[in-house]
Amino acid sequence: MLDFHGIIFAYRTTPALGELVSKRTAASLPFCGRYRLIDFALSSLMNAGIRDVGIILQRDYQSLLDHIGSGKVWDMSRKSGGLRILPPFGLPEYHTGNYSGTMEALIAVDEYIRDIPQKHVVLMLGDLAANIDLAPVLEQHVRSGVPITAICSDQLPNGPHHRYLPGADGLVDGALFYRDGDAEGVPSLEAYIVDKDLLVEMIDGSDARNLHRFHKDAIAYYLENGGKMGCYVHKGYAQVVRSVEAYNRCNMDMLDPAKRRQLFPAERPVRTKTHEGVSTYYGVNAVSRNSLVADNCIIEGEIENCIVFSGVRIGEGARLKNCILMRGTEVGAHARLNHVIADKECAFSVGTELTGSEKLPVVVPKGMKI
Amino acid sequence: MKKSCIAMLLAGGQGSRLYALTQKAAKPSVPFGGKYRIIDFPLSNCANSGIDTVGVLTQYRPLQLNSYIGNGQPWDLDVADGGVYILPPYLGANEKGSWFSGTANAIYQNLSFIETYDPDNVLILSGDHIYKMDYAKMLREHLEKDAACTIAVLQVSLQEATRFGIMNLGEDGYVCEFEEKPKQPKSDLASMGIYIFNWKKLREYLIADEADPLSSKDFGKNIIPKMLAGGEKLWPYRFQGYWRDVGTIGSLWDANMDMLSSTKINLFDPSWPINSRSSVCPPHFTGEQAVIRHSIVTEGCEVEGHIENSVLSSNVRVGAGAQILYSVLMPGAVVENGATVEYAIVGENTVVGAGAHVGAAPDGSESWSVATCGPDIRIGAGVTIPAGAMVYESKEV
Repeated sequence: MLDFHGIIFAYRTTPALGELVSKRTAASLPFCGRYRLIDFALSSLMNAGIRDVGIILQRDYQSLLDHIGSGKVWDMSRKSGGLRILPPFGLPEYHTGNYSGTMEALIAVDEYIRDIPQKHVVLMLGDLAANIDLAPVLEQHVRSGVPITAICSDQLPNGPHHRYLPGADGLVDGALFYRDGDAEGVPSLEAYIVDKDLLVEMIDGSDARNLHRFHKDAIAYYLENGGKMGCYVHKGYAQVVRSVEAYNRCNMDMLDPAKRRQLFPAERPVRTKTHEGVSTYYGVNAVSRNSLVADNCIIEGEIENCIVFSGVRIGEGARLKNCILMRGTEVGAHARLNHVIADKECAFSVGTELTGSEKLPVVVPKGMKI
Repeated sequence: MKKSCIAMLLAGGQGSRLYALTQKAAKPSVPFGGKYRIIDFPLSNCANSGIDTVGVLTQYRPLQLNSYIGNGQPWDLDVADGGVYILPPYLGANEKGSWFSGTANAIYQNLSFIETYDPDNVLILSGDHIYKMDYAKMLREHLEKDAACTIAVLQVSLQEATRFGIMNLGEDGYVCEFEEKPKQPKSDLASMGIYIFNWKKLREYLIADEADPLSSKDFGKNIIPKMLAGGEKLWPYRFQGYWRDVGTIGSLWDANMDMLSSTKINLFDPSWPINSRSSVCPPHFTGEQAVIRHSIVTEGCEVEGHIENSVLSSNVRVGAGAQILYSVLMPGAVVENGATVEYAIVGENTVVGAGAHVGAAPDGSESWSVATCGPDIRIGAGVTIPAGAMVYESKEV
């Protein structure tokens, strides 16, 4: 058996995601026509052979639970071990409000962490769009003998992020927290392989000092006190989705065949819950240019630079550009939509006109009829 | 556990008339209509009709079919008491086993499977029909009419009737005569090859038929006539709706073309889903120059060319400048830049090289046939495959 356990942080709802996260967490945001963001973390773990995985949640998790089910899709519905959903159970009763940091989320489930039978733990974000080949990282971690390895990226992230400065020996020399834009070192994907003993130590230390941030508090403390950290650079597409603009951009990035192939390589498939159905039908006057379209759609109108999820209907003469249409959205005949993100089951009546911009796409909340 | 009705699905047919497409796989596992394989239709009908125990009788190149059906989970047939079972022919310790010698013999060889469920009735299905049918309704009528056997029938024109097994009815509405492909049909009710039998009766007739050395052990040719002769009550269940036998290249192509028209068979109906096992692929991508009209396209496809009146299964790639007209591309087929495929069926993972031309046709011409490329072959760049030709891997038999 593999000596690794997975932990996915799926509790985050960033305010900059606005209406998109009014009833879901960032990890369950629909992505690229058929996926949810958490599929990437789950599939990366699955493809590396990891089957024991805990998912840390806090609130608004119904959508995520619906999506994950028993974890069968990722082979994580097992007789022993397998997938565990971890709502807060270790927090004091007076605790309300959102987790103030990753360490607090870990403290809230500390009993689960202490009971992990494996020696190493893989920590991953549920809202990171990256298909990470974990096998070589796990190997490097074990071979290096250091208790923690940071997974970093060769791409510049959207927005603020942490950076590590790798030294000549391959170990991290220093860290830069909350940087925006390019700088020294490599950007962190906030994914780590950490020995369970060190993780428990970090949880106890943070709890004792009442410090709840993973990077600024726990990691900084660890590095300042001479702790050793390895560094692995993942090559290929990797973006965390933390704003409407980033959500829009990441989806549109998938229209680029090179980026799409980095996220969906044939050898490491991304699994997701399937909605059975039929192939998509294009009508006699349909036009579909530079777009990604899922199954179960009926397209009679014109789409360009669009991401279309399952079950969407686009009427005759409708013209859509730069739109993301989530599952079950209906667009009436002759509607004109540009830079619109329609959440699930929206309806646009005949002739509706709606225009946003690349910086500020119009987000239409779930189920809205216009 | 006792069941009111279980289904036995005859999936052992070689499908010799689909030759190039069934060289490596049994007919029921031939891809169909974009997302499906033929067997998805009877399996989904069973699940939707509340029949949760299905024996699938296989014998000819069953590997692909077996792995496709697996535990039956895509059709919700992975249930505790019942489920879907693959039933190959087998040899007992002290007996002479054999291949199934006919449809009735296939059921006879699996008497012990059926008896495990002690069913009141047994539904016999064929693995090569495209249709949506509520077997529960048929079962209700079967019980109401107290029939030994209920046969699903479809009204056809008298000209067509000469190609089918035809049921002639008596004044009481029960079947009084069965004629296989009559030259002068007396009725227009064609058997669809779908039967519900009272299990006790069927068991009796199967055992008797097995002992008859002159019998060809076939439901239509032997069991039904013997039941009629034995004075049993045979009831015709009139089915209305879309039904196609896809046993030939021409009918397979026709039925695929029917999928483009929701008035023929509506697969978007959420109350009667046809399910399939599919690997998860990204949504299909249409390039800057892509043109797709009156066609269906499935996940995983990458389309840069021109598609009209065609059916694309999953993971098909169509290069820039390529043209696909009135054709069926099975999963993983690749049509390279500038190639043309028209009035054709291209098998799984087959590559049509750049500038090649597969099939050609109508424009008013009346006698023509569909060009077929079998699975896993490569049509060289610039090669022409004429209308009606059948191309397949020749090493394998």
